[in-house]
This record gives sequence, C-alpha cells and structure tokens, in this order.
Amino acid sequence: MKKRSLLRLVLTAVLITFSYASVWGQQIKAPDFELRDVNGRTVRLSDYQGKVVLINFWATWCPPCRAEMPDLVRLQREHRQKGLQIIGITYPPEQKDRVRRFARSLKVNYPIILGTRQLKARFSSDETLPLTIVIDRDGKVSNIIVGILLREEFDEKIKPLLMKNAEGGIRSAKSNH
Amino acid sequence: MRNRIISLVVGTVMVMALCVMTAAAFTKTVTIKVEGMKCAKCSSSVSKALKATEGVEDATVSSDKGEAVIKYDDQKTNETKLREVINSTGFKAVAEPGQ
Repeated sequence: MKKRSLLRLVLTAVLITFSYASVWGQQIKAPDFELRDVNGRTVRLSDYQGKVVLINFWATWCPPCRAEMPDLVRLQREHRQKGLQIIGITYPPEQKDRVRRFARSLKVNYPIILGTRQLKARFSSDETLPLTIVIDRDGKVSNIIVGILLREEFDEKIKPLLMKNAEGGIRSAKSNH
Repeated sequence: MRNRIISLVVGTVMVMALCVMTAAAFTKTVTIKVEGMKCAKCSSSVSKALKATEGVEDATVSSDKGEAVIKYDDQKTNETKLREVINSTGFKAVAEPGQ
C-alpha cells in the first residue's frame, strides 16, 4: 500500500515537472511572423535566426518611444556587425504614410513594420510603450524590456547576448567582425 | 560597571541618532510638473529613468496629476539633473518660476 502511494507521488511529481517544462518551452521560443515593412520589403523573424533581435513596439504619438529611437538607430549602427538586428513594430496600428515620414525624418536604419493587436499579443500582453522584446541567437525570448531602453539595461541584458554564439559559446574576437 | 553600560548605551543611541539625522539632511523630496504625460502606458518610462538615476531613492510619477514626486540624496544628484532625466524620456519638466 505504501509502495503504491509512493509510486503515485513520484509519477505526479514527474508529470507536473514535464508539464511546466513544456509550458516554459513554449513561452521562450519567439513566435515567427512574415510581414511587409513600410517600404514594402518582406520581413520574417526567422530570417534573423543567429542574430540578437530586438523587437521594439512603439507609436509615433508616444514621447518616450520617439525619445529612444535615435538611441536605437545608434545601437543598430554600432552593433550591426556583432549581429544586432532591431525591428520596429508600431502598436497600436497606425497610418503607413505617417509612420514612413517619421522613420525617414529620424533616418531609421532598421525595418519598421505596421503592427496589429494580434501580432503584439503573441509577444506580450503588457500595454506599456515602448516595449522591447529581446531575442537571443537561438530565437528564444531572453528578456522583455518595459519602457524606455536604458543604457544600463543594454549593457546588462543585450551586450552579453552579442558576446555569445548560438548555442551559448563565447564569440571569438574574429567572429565579432 | 553599571555606569559604563549606561554610558555605552547613551553613546550608541547618540551615534545612531546622528547617523539618521545626517542621512535625513541629505535626503530631499521634490515635486516636478511634467508636461505631455497624456498616455498612462507611456509615462512609466519617466519613473523607470528616474529610479535608475544615481542618488534617487524613490520616484512616484502620476500621469493624472502630471507630476513626478522624487526623493533623492542631494549629495549625489540635484534638481537640474532630475529635470534633464525627465526631459530625456521625451516629456518636458516644467521649469519653476525663477529657473
């Protein structure tokens, strides 16, 4: 009788562990998408596999979003060779012409996509803007940065990812260039 | 022996009181009016940036009131710097008369 109870307990523990692991696995893999940017080019998240991707949800009417964009442009320029790829997604939906004009005025050097509520919901239910999803070289969500991206946060949460190869190895000086 | 213990206790209390008074003397609270915080979901960047600033002990930002209440160590930062931090988030710290 005791053996049966023990066996039942062990089986339950194993089952719970596996179901948690499976849910966790689903959460950390970034969902793929295929959309056109404001210039008509197709953008697929899966095309950037092997890079560190920042998906930045923003809006033209959001002051902190506008304030951080010059920094994102600079980060994209400075870290492109190390494998950083930023993708801007407007949220909530906005007019294409307005977004394109705005992006041109700031000389945005990364793709800007017109987002939808459904697309945003696939990444986060947090309504704060700006919101940046950090995806590592293996295509997994490693962090969600709520609000403006601070320099300290970039150094702490994104720079280490740029130093790593896919599968977690440390990038050599040669592979950084 | 008893007198020694009393002196020690009194001395310790005085030192602690001095420490608390010194810390309190360095801590200031300021309320800064912030223009443009019309969307509640984007004003959280202001408190985030303020709390990340060296010397800021606490920051409460209200988009309804359009203000930020900041508790800070005036040995490490000052009001001008705090206004700059607010402005760097895309909003505008309203200048007080005479500034």
